[in-house]
Amino acid sequence: MAGADVIIVCEAGKGQTEAANTRLIAIGEELTRHCSGRLLCLLAGHDIGTKAAELSRHVDEVCVADSPLLANYNPEAHLKIAQTLVEELQPRVVLFGHTFIGMDLAPRLASRLGVGVASNCFDVRIENDALSFMRPMYRGRINARVVMDFRPIIVTLQLGGAEPPAAGRAGTVRRIDVGPVENAKIKPLRTIEPAPTGIDIAKADIVVAGGRGIGEKQNFTLVAELAEALGGVPACSRPLVDMGWFGTSHQVGLSGNTVKPKLYIACGISGAVEHLHGMKESKTIVAINKDPDAPIFKVAHYGVVGDLNEIVPQLTREVRAVRGGKDPRRET
Amino acid sequence: MKIVTFAKHVPSSVVTPRIAHSGDRIDEDGLSHEVNEADLYAIEEALYQRSLHKGSVTAITIGPGRAKEALHIAYAKGVDQAIQVVDEALRGVNPVLNVMAAAKVVKKLEYDMIFAGIQAEDDLQGQFGIGLAEALGIPAVTAVTEIRASPGEKVATVMRELGGGFKEEIEVDLPCLLTIQFGIRRLRYTPVMAIVRSRSRKIEQVTVESLAIPTEGLQGNAPLRVMKLSYPEDGGRCELIRGSAEEAARKLVHKLVEAGVV
Repeated sequence: MAGADVIIVCEAGKGQTEAANTRLIAIGEELTRHCSGRLLCLLAGHDIGTKAAELSRHVDEVCVADSPLLANYNPEAHLKIAQTLVEELQPRVVLFGHTFIGMDLAPRLASRLGVGVASNCFDVRIENDALSFMRPMYRGRINARVVMDFRPIIVTLQLGGAEPPAAGRAGTVRRIDVGPVENAKIKPLRTIEPAPTGIDIAKADIVVAGGRGIGEKQNFTLVAELAEALGGVPACSRPLVDMGWFGTSHQVGLSGNTVKPKLYIACGISGAVEHLHGMKESKTIVAINKDPDAPIFKVAHYGVVGDLNEIVPQLTREVRAVRGGKDPRRET
Repeated sequence: MKIVTFAKHVPSSVVTPRIAHSGDRIDEDGLSHEVNEADLYAIEEALYQRSLHKGSVTAITIGPGRAKEALHIAYAKGVDQAIQVVDEALRGVNPVLNVMAAAKVVKKLEYDMIFAGIQAEDDLQGQFGIGLAEALGIPAVTAVTEIRASPGEKVATVMRELGGGFKEEIEVDLPCLLTIQFGIRRLRYTPVMAIVRSRSRKIEQVTVESLAIPTEGLQGNAPLRVMKLSYPEDGGRCELIRGSAEEAARKLVHKLVEAGVV
């Protein structure tokens, strides 16, 4: 039924592609189940046949825009394709992942269509066919339930959450035309991969991360020592990268790495939304922060309110006493 | 090169605002405000670009009377001109109005580049920059971490984030709008005395009313309406460990051992 369809704008490029697509399928599935519309997918990129086939098992139709013009993320070209498709299909909802591409493309599409966009949504509520979305505001200290009065409803969804539903559909794959953008004012030149550093915090079992609350750079030693005592790796949140102390290979969050260790200890990290994206699915989360209202405590399992410069060294001492210098990296 | 930047005056990042009785907004009473952090990076980059290419930097804020403090800070950092769009009714938080008001003001200025912070800490939407660029009909690149401008050739080569450590190099025609990512440049230290001194500098004020903005999209049906604000639930799962640093550390490690993670 036209007007009840949901389009998920999946990603084929670099960055957080997989996590975004998983989330889009899960929420798209939920919405179409309640609204009895079709679940449609837009996939734009270059050499994306395999990805399109994979996605077709989760949706009713994959619309594939495959062209060398789309090898890099091209805001004008991607926008043109999305706008053309949305105007043709008249969906009720268009879902994007809350990735750097989704954050860029969703507002562009909304502007062109003269509608709003709710970004960073982490929950959807369906009541009597009315849709509302939950999203953070005020640095994640407050949540807002929002509605949108115009169609289509455009949303970017936080990554992560439920595992993707089993492939239950046998969707068609339809190629859509990609023409050059007239009078292009934005020319993508190249996509740059992160430089290999030999450190992969995403694979670590234990991550101890420091944030702005560290204060002075030398205090990071405390974080590194705790990480070492636990047999884990040290990491950081965005502000420490911004201050030039570390590269993005150490960074947990949307711009850096997504981690899911068995233990994540956040020291002096308030828990900006972008940081939570990168660690909220850790099995056990410990937060140490001066501010009892810091959003990090909302995702933590254990919290200590206080000065990390006092608490972290005590923790290190305690861990060393308990583990007796064991190094789990040598165990199996 | 002429650069326009925006500075939003937002609630202080270190406190949790109180939700007003109406439930759909925060209570501004007693709340302290600061310049949106991402906008500080935009101002910083504008000043850096001016140091390379000469020209001028204009800072604009949209908000109630108190928001001019954002411009005092912009002046203290070194901008050349400051404009406040005085919005007492909607207090600078209506995204539709902000884009329309900004477009009206910017159209009267000469500019090569417009810098906006990647997102505002209050609404966390990250749409103002793109909305403004669309309204002005100029190209926009978001999440920019590096800018090499050639104003003579009317072009800039910029680096943007793609997430997960990936970046993209993009060429963009001028004039353009760039949303500036945190950390593009170290923020300069701004002495309090510099802010105090800049309070006497001229701020051009225009009221929202004088801009004759159509009210469509501002009342009744809206692109986005907040129905209800709430404090995030923690599901009661966060167990707070109390006591001195030493006690807390011992208890915490005990719990982690029990949970089998240490």
